[in-house]
Amino acid sequence: MLELQLLLGGLQNGALYALTAAGFALIFGATKVFHVAHGATFTLAGYVFIGAWNAGWHPVLGVLAAMAAAVAFGIAMERFVYRPIGRHEGGFFTVFVAAFGVSIVVQNLIAMVAGRGFANVDSPLSMASEVLPELFLAPVFWISIVAAVAMFLALTLFLSRHPAGVALRALAQNADLLRAYGLSSSKLSILAFALGSVLAAPAAILTAMTSGINEAVGNHVMLISMAATIVGGVGSLRGAALAGLLLGVAEAVVLTVLDTQWAEGASFMVLFAFILFRPSGMFGAAVAR
Amino acid sequence: MNSTRRLLLGSALAAPFAAPALAQNDPYVIGTLFPMSGPNAEYGTVFTQGAQLAIQHIEADRMLRRPIRLQAEDTQALPQQGVIGMQKLVNVDRAVFTLVGFTAVSKAVAPIGDRAQSVMVNGGAVGPDLAGLSPYFWNVIPLAHLETRALLPYLSQERRVRRVALVYVDDPLGDAILSELRQQLPRVNAELVGSFSIPRTAQQFGPIAARVRQARPDAVYIASFGAQQAQIIKGLRDNGVSTLLCSYSAMGLDSVRTLAEAEGLVFTSQKMDFEGGDALTRRFATDFNARFSKTPTIYNANYYNAVRLFGLLAQGIEQAGGTVNGESLRAALLARRRFDLVGGPGEFDDQGNMMAAIEVLEYRGGRTQRLVG
Amino acid sequence: MIAYLSNLATLAAIFGLLAATLNFMVGQAGIFSVAHAVFMGLGAYAGAQVALLVVPNPLLACLAAAVVAGGLSLCLALPALRVRGEYFVAASLGLQMMAVTLFTEAKPLTGGMGGLVGIPRPSLFGVVIPVLPMALIALVLFLVLMSAMQRGSFGRTLGAIRDAESAAEALGKNVAVAKALAVAFSAAGAGVAGALFALHLSFVNVESFTLEQSVLVMAMLIVGGTGTLLGPLLGAVLLLSLPAALSFLPFIPPTEIGSVQQIIYGGAMALLMIFRPAGLLGDQKRGRSEA
Repeated sequence: MLELQLLLGGLQNGALYALTAAGFALIFGATKVFHVAHGATFTLAGYVFIGAWNAGWHPVLGVLAAMAAAVAFGIAMERFVYRPIGRHEGGFFTVFVAAFGVSIVVQNLIAMVAGRGFANVDSPLSMASEVLPELFLAPVFWISIVAAVAMFLALTLFLSRHPAGVALRALAQNADLLRAYGLSSSKLSILAFALGSVLAAPAAILTAMTSGINEAVGNHVMLISMAATIVGGVGSLRGAALAGLLLGVAEAVVLTVLDTQWAEGASFMVLFAFILFRPSGMFGAAVAR
Repeated sequence: MNSTRRLLLGSALAAPFAAPALAQNDPYVIGTLFPMSGPNAEYGTVFTQGAQLAIQHIEADRMLRRPIRLQAEDTQALPQQGVIGMQKLVNVDRAVFTLVGFTAVSKAVAPIGDRAQSVMVNGGAVGPDLAGLSPYFWNVIPLAHLETRALLPYLSQERRVRRVALVYVDDPLGDAILSELRQQLPRVNAELVGSFSIPRTAQQFGPIAARVRQARPDAVYIASFGAQQAQIIKGLRDNGVSTLLCSYSAMGLDSVRTLAEAEGLVFTSQKMDFEGGDALTRRFATDFNARFSKTPTIYNANYYNAVRLFGLLAQGIEQAGGTVNGESLRAALLARRRFDLVGGPGEFDDQGNMMAAIEVLEYRGGRTQRLVG
Repeated sequence: MIAYLSNLATLAAIFGLLAATLNFMVGQAGIFSVAHAVFMGLGAYAGAQVALLVVPNPLLACLAAAVVAGGLSLCLALPALRVRGEYFVAASLGLQMMAVTLFTEAKPLTGGMGGLVGIPRPSLFGVVIPVLPMALIALVLFLVLMSAMQRGSFGRTLGAIRDAESAAEALGKNVAVAKALAVAFSAAGAGVAGALFALHLSFVNVESFTLEQSVLVMAMLIVGGTGTLLGPLLGAVLLLSLPAALSFLPFIPPTEIGSVQQIIYGGAMALLMIFRPAGLLGDQKRGRSEA
């Protein structure tokens, strides 16, 4: 039963990883920006929801507020940080350092405004009950799965049906060609940041509900998102999402054979193995060498 | 010192110059080396508030001839930052007395203070290897092995606990608690049925809860600190671990007390009665409430005590006509040994470790209740 | 004050060495790594163990550190070198995260979280010598070596790899060997920096070799400007002295001091990148800071 319990727990976490990773991959695929501040988006959305919850807002309003904050932050990063650097044809690491700087600012502003240390949403939804002997599941398990599936369905529909979504996919394939057709790539990259960021919001809210967050949580989120993007194959949304799920499950299931202190290293071992043996990732088209 | 600072602000790295000798009315500098940013910053704030209140009281009582200035250096609970901060406190600010917390930082800065003969006082970390780091390194908090020894008889006799599981961060503190539980549990007719080491950065405890459940413990001991503690408690409770949770003094944080899942958490702490205690303790509790509008925690009291200790020692030295420095402070401490502090009299051993009574506490309805002691 | 400044100067020299060796990897060979702290850590542990168990001879400690860090970098980096660009960044990231777990668990070698305490002060022929002159000598030595290698045929090979890897390969340059050598040399330098760091602090634990440290070293390099000789040094001095200088600001309340410092620090990093993306000393018109 331990195996099943760990598997299901891993799925719950993995669904949330999948959401943030897909956001990161969407942004990276469409704009080629390595959005290190994605973790800051996550933290911000989580704290906005906690603030709204504690102020007694209706949860739906809280979710909307968190999503709005995530989108606003994502767009602001694109407009005021990445685009000016992009004009200089700034290097990969330049973007990395700039985004890292912004993440530090966000983390400490949150600490000053919302207080330091642990913060969570106090809700009975995260309380697990014994559904089968020795198998504990919380309502939030189903919410996580449903939220992840719903977000992905919506995203897939948008990317395949809506003209802007189709253009976004085209941008990922060939930016020059798109410009030749007279489409504005700058509007599209704003769209990519908005969509990518909004995906982080539900994950942040559910994490605030289950494990709770602190102002420094963003780093971990960014690492997982990045690892999932690589494992899934750069440019593949589906791959990033599946890889996120896989990392979450790996982190949990590894505990059936290894001691608890190795759990975190496990996801990065998966990442390392993929880079060594299958650098193009699970679904990637671009082979490194 | 003000002119010094302006000079430094003017040109970021001024040419080396000799620091001026302490003039008659220059303040005594008390340094703090706490995490003021990063995941452990909640402690930094709590630690600092206790020190601030003590300075307020010392100045209100006109205990010393000179004012006291608090100089804060942010360590982020990292040794490297701690060393930079300590070098600055000792060499630039000429701090005679530095407040530290956190085991790794304390161990890293101890040699610097030792060489400079500057007193360092820990009121937060409880790793047993903090005893005897240097003649100038004192502890105003009873160290962890004293805490577990007070807890285990209670668990065994009152709660009939026979099987204990340990969730711990693999650092000197966690190690000490692990070996302490291994040795002491058999003496109270109990056993350690599982120990689960976790990285300090771990956030998800669902999988660990599953492993803990499998060990079928009567009680789970948690040895971590900072934001992670609350996450562990919530992670265990949410994932079906319904047994008794217990821990040590690091749980004395508001973020834990107000956590719904922390209901019924049993933990040890040094004895402190804020309502019914002596006049000193009551004054501390009242004024703390007035200044920061919340009830004080054990850490507020410890760092209050650390600064009060400085006040008492320096007062004695001033009256005897001596100079307040590391050497005279240490001599004064060893000569007197016993001090009236918040929570009752505190007594120091040869190494400068304070002995104090330990009590067993429980969180009930968001309030702290005393079980034993 | 002098002791304080010399402490800062020692750290600046050590981190200057780290940033300069990373520069060699990134700026010269086009290999991106966010695992520099791993090699620093390997060197620090090796150097500290030499000082603790054998003799506190700084030369021996540095040598051991260079061998351990350089050697292990080959085992670890060779497979990962099969990929390029963002993939190597991710590979190095995975390496960094695993290394932290290993450093924490390999207690007999590293002391785990508790670290190695009481590392003796370095001494040569019975005379205790401060770390600052040694760090400066090591820094200069590596800078000279690196600029010599850059000008030699090895440097031209590396330059060719950086600018067009496939073309370099087509011209018969052995890309893998050249890259591996660059990584090993750079890691050896980081190892020496680590050993000096351990001797300077007389205490090391895993918290000094985390991802944050790697990112800090990288930020020093980027802020100063990649591909330049003095850029990494300027970056190291700047990023080390900025928080130190900020701690002299008198008006910040003690409970907010950490956050305010961090906000200024992070904000300065972001603004600098927005307005000078090639770094302070980088060639702005060339507009590329490598990548």
